[in-house]
Amino acid sequence: MSNSLDSYLVLSGLLFAIGTFGFLARRNAISMLMSIELMLNAVNLTILAFGAFIAPLKTHAAVIALIVIAVAAAEATVGLAIIIAIYRNKKTPLVDEYDSMKD
Amino acid sequence: MNFLIPLIPALPLAGFVITGLLGRQMGHDSHRLAVGAVVASWLVAMVVVTGALTHSLGFPVAGGFGVTLWNWIPATGFQADMGFYVDTLTACLLIVVTTIGMLVHVYSIGYMAHDDGKWRFFAYLNLFMFSMLILVLADNLLLVFAGWELVGLSSYLLIGFWYPRRSAAEAAKKAFLVNRVGDMGFALGIMAVWTQLGTLNLQKVFGAFGGVPHEWQIAIALLIFCGAVGKSAQFPLHVWLPDAMEGPTPVSALIHAATMVNAGVYLVARCNPIFGAAPEVMTVVAAIGIFTAILAASIAFTQTDIKRVLAYSTLSQLGYMFASLGVGAWTAAIFHLMSHGFFKGLLFLGSGSVIHAVDGEQDMRKMGGLAKKIPITYVTMLIGSVAIAGVPPLAGFFSKDEILGGAFKNGFLWVWAIGFAVAGMTAFYMFRLMGMTFWGESRVDPEKEHHIHESPPTMTRPLILLAIPAVFLGMLIGFPPESGLLHQWLAPVFEHTIAASGRTEAAYTFFGIDGALAILTTGLVAAAIVLAWRLFGVNMPALGLRAEPRPDQVREISARPALAALYRGSSNKWWFDDLNNLLFVVWGGKLAAAAFWFDRTVIDGTVNGIGVVTTGAGTALRRVQTGRVQNYALGIAFGLIAMAIGYILIAVR
Repeated sequence: MSNSLDSYLVLSGLLFAIGTFGFLARRNAISMLMSIELMLNAVNLTILAFGAFIAPLKTHAAVIALIVIAVAAAEATVGLAIIIAIYRNKKTPLVDEYDSMKD
Repeated sequence: MNFLIPLIPALPLAGFVITGLLGRQMGHDSHRLAVGAVVASWLVAMVVVTGALTHSLGFPVAGGFGVTLWNWIPATGFQADMGFYVDTLTACLLIVVTTIGMLVHVYSIGYMAHDDGKWRFFAYLNLFMFSMLILVLADNLLLVFAGWELVGLSSYLLIGFWYPRRSAAEAAKKAFLVNRVGDMGFALGIMAVWTQLGTLNLQKVFGAFGGVPHEWQIAIALLIFCGAVGKSAQFPLHVWLPDAMEGPTPVSALIHAATMVNAGVYLVARCNPIFGAAPEVMTVVAAIGIFTAILAASIAFTQTDIKRVLAYSTLSQLGYMFASLGVGAWTAAIFHLMSHGFFKGLLFLGSGSVIHAVDGEQDMRKMGGLAKKIPITYVTMLIGSVAIAGVPPLAGFFSKDEILGGAFKNGFLWVWAIGFAVAGMTAFYMFRLMGMTFWGESRVDPEKEHHIHESPPTMTRPLILLAIPAVFLGMLIGFPPESGLLHQWLAPVFEHTIAASGRTEAAYTFFGIDGALAILTTGLVAAAIVLAWRLFGVNMPALGLRAEPRPDQVREISARPALAALYRGSSNKWWFDDLNNLLFVVWGGKLAAAAFWFDRTVIDGTVNGIGVVTTGAGTALRRVQTGRVQNYALGIAFGLIAMAIGYILIAVR
């Protein structure tokens, strides 16, 4: 089963599930951001796996993976900037206390 | 004339505005300006009347004089001018309205001297004069209608002048509401005229009315007559006028006897080409008029309130006028309108003077023997009574005789027969009033007895001035009968309608049918007066007449089995108020309650239900918005999973 497309997909599925769980379960904004990175990387792994095992997709997969990395970097930057800005106002990294738009 | 005619209504309007705005500050002098405005208006009106009746001073030889002030409603396809039209018919009305209006204003100075709301009273009276003059002078139906509603308003304000008194406030409301019923018809009539002819100008309408389909002619005439029935208090809308006597007595004299209630008669006479084109409606007019005449006269027999007797008498005389219009005796109707205006105005002002003398008492059972104590009032009222009873040669004799003669000669024998009976009844109840008030023993409250006094000159002088036309008007404009001055004046107004009706006016024959009718009527009147004297007393030493009232005999007669039912009906006003109460207050109230329930539960229920559902849904959905990022993310995750499962299911299939 090793070195087959299925094993890569299972791994990336596990990684994505871990990322989702982390995003839903953690209260700390930084941890949530990290979980998002994990999900993005899981997706990236899927894309590269398809590129490695299916010949016509090889170049497309590489390009898409590079774009995802770039987007992830940008997203992390913006996300961190927002979190720092909120942290300065609220003095807490915990997202469940960011509730001033509730009412 | 272009300047003088608009000045007639403008002066009272100015008086109303200034007295209305500043009257409170003027204090005791608040009547000066109002009375001055009406006197000035009277002077101007007399100049205009002279011009109109003699066709001089700028009046054309034929037809009337029109003034258009401005284009009132310049909508495309709908035009109404602010314009006046004065012809001989208008002039006759101007004489009545401005003369009696002026005298009533003067009289009110004395009558209202001690009332705190004097300024309000005079402001309203001026408003009434303005409205009535607009109504009379208007050259198009819409302006007539505006005046029509304005007199209704001022009548409402003046009936309810003593509004803290509940009965006055309710009488005002009743008058206003009952009038609305008739006005609704009038408004519909005006709309019908517009749809048929595309103009509301009276002269243009009359000129083109022959071209209207006959069923529309009938409808328009009936609807306009509806308005007249309301304003002139004819059956079945007669119930408001007796209650309107809650207003101050000068108001009863001016509005509810001499001028406003004549508006209906004037309207029908003015619209004579419309009614002439619908002979069926003319019969309706005659029937309603003569029925009201005998109905009201029968009620006047048993009323004990002096003003109510006069009110029912007014109804009865107005019925006469409508009967006269209905049978085609147009000029006679206007003649009776004028003479009735003067003698009924006189009688009402006289009754006001009596009420003033006995300190507000209106019940004739608590009067009696007043002749010696208030001689001027007594003599003038006696003249008024003789005039209305139709004793020759006073005003009422000539006008009533022309109406009865007109009915007889135009083939309406039933109208003549009822009218003949009413003439006798009129004489009887008027001398019942005189007997109970002025002759016999005094039944006045002993407390009030010692300060019975004649009214001040401002009140007695108008009485004397009104007594003059009550005596001489008939001889002046109505003699020789059917070719007197009034007939010469009004002939051009009615000649087309009379010619179109196909009736040839038979010449007046004194030694023939007309003379016989006149003698017959006079005989009946004389008999009725003698009967009233024998039952209710008389004391005229100058004529050697003296009889004591016999209340026992009156009681005995009214208790006879054959007459008891009639007596009960008469004293209960034939239960018309009760009928209206049952129909409109009880049953109408139930209908209104049902409509209210429907509105509350069904209409409001639907609207409120939508609101409740919306807010409820909002409250329920609000819980979804927790403000926690994870909850939203969970939603996204579940959504993603659902989409994935859905995709797989579809892709697998």
